[in-house]
Amino acid sequence: MTGTREPQQDGGIQAMLRDSGLEAAAELRRSLEELRALVPDEAPAPRADLAALLASGSCGSAVESAPDFVDEPLPAGVTSLAERRGRKRRLAIVGGAVLGAMTLGAGAVAASSGNFRESFSQSVGTIFQPGGKMPDTAQRPARPSPADVPAAPAPTSNATGAATPPQAEAPGAPGAAAAVPAKPGAPATPPAVGHTGFLPTPPHRPVTPGTPALPVPGGDKGLPAGPALPGVLPALPGQP
Amino acid sequence: MAEQLTHDELSAAFAGEPSGFSAVYTVISPAVLGYFRARGVEDAEALTQDVFVDVLPKLAKVTGGYSGLRTFIFSVAHARLVDHHRRAERTPYLAEYDPRDDIRHAPSAEDEVLGSLGGMTDSLFRLNEEQREVLVLRIVADLSIEQVARIMDKSPGAIKQLQRRGLSALRELVTEKDHAAS
Repeated sequence: MTGTREPQQDGGIQAMLRDSGLEAAAELRRSLEELRALVPDEAPAPRADLAALLASGSCGSAVESAPDFVDEPLPAGVTSLAERRGRKRRLAIVGGAVLGAMTLGAGAVAASSGNFRESFSQSVGTIFQPGGKMPDTAQRPARPSPADVPAAPAPTSNATGAATPPQAEAPGAPGAAAAVPAKPGAPATPPAVGHTGFLPTPPHRPVTPGTPALPVPGGDKGLPAGPALPGVLPALPGQP
Repeated sequence: MAEQLTHDELSAAFAGEPSGFSAVYTVISPAVLGYFRARGVEDAEALTQDVFVDVLPKLAKVTGGYSGLRTFIFSVAHARLVDHHRRAERTPYLAEYDPRDDIRHAPSAEDEVLGSLGGMTDSLFRLNEEQREVLVLRIVADLSIEQVARIMDKSPGAIKQLQRRGLSALRELVTEKDHAAS
């Protein structure tokens, strides 16, 4: 440390302590002097970029400081683009606002139009009114249920309906007899006819009680399973 | 070493001449380096150089002569320090190797020479952030109350208050440590 700096520093610390009424605190003063000793005597060696800056002066800095002086008045004949830039941004904002307003308006029109309101209130009414509209709602479910009922017979008539598809599938197959194994054949092959015939037939049986009369015509091909269940298997082929 | 810049050096610096820049760097950078060291920055030298790379091209805009220049440079340093601390908070602290856990330990020559300096910064770190900043700016950066007030964006009265409280807290810490040591 240079001799010229010392007295001034001490004076500075002394003045500080005096300001705060801690003049007598010797330890504190020593610590503050230690703190000041953190300041090195010499400047650190400049880094490459800093050294270049120090060597070149403002010439090197001119490039860096150029953007700082955008506010300077422009020379005559030069129009500033900053204004236009601002205008463009303003246009975009206005455009966005108009679009938003239009969307809102379209939504409002849709909500206020007669059709929409009607259908909406109707659907709300059907949901929440238990009294007057009940029959309607009851009818609607009723419609599907008849549809289900035919659907249920359909399986039984499936015997007829399904009998044709197998024929269509295998026209070369021998008559309706082929259809018989084909029906149970969907789950199992003809050899299993005896067993598979058992399982699917009971459900069909109660539905079509009249079929037992028909086994006779179909009986010609029901023969393979015939011995064990003569009445059972022929029933299906008999229907067609 | 000159305590202050001469008038010629100062005007050369404001004019952007290399000699002026060098003079400013030579005179003020030690204080900036000391300021960063006192605030516990790991790479204080790099931060000091960052400050001057930032400051020197803008000297033409500085008003208020030498004290204005010092205030300007330390306000940039203060901002850099705040940035540095924020970044340090966000980045994870990597500690793969801690030399203090190493058994092969020899006392640091620097520590021996500087004596209780480490202890001084330790007690400084027990003060609150603003008190610490005021004390470091006042003592290490050698700035007046008014200059510190401008840098920290506070009133001179508030700075005086912070200084008084910081000094009394530091005094307590120092005497406490002395008692513990003896």
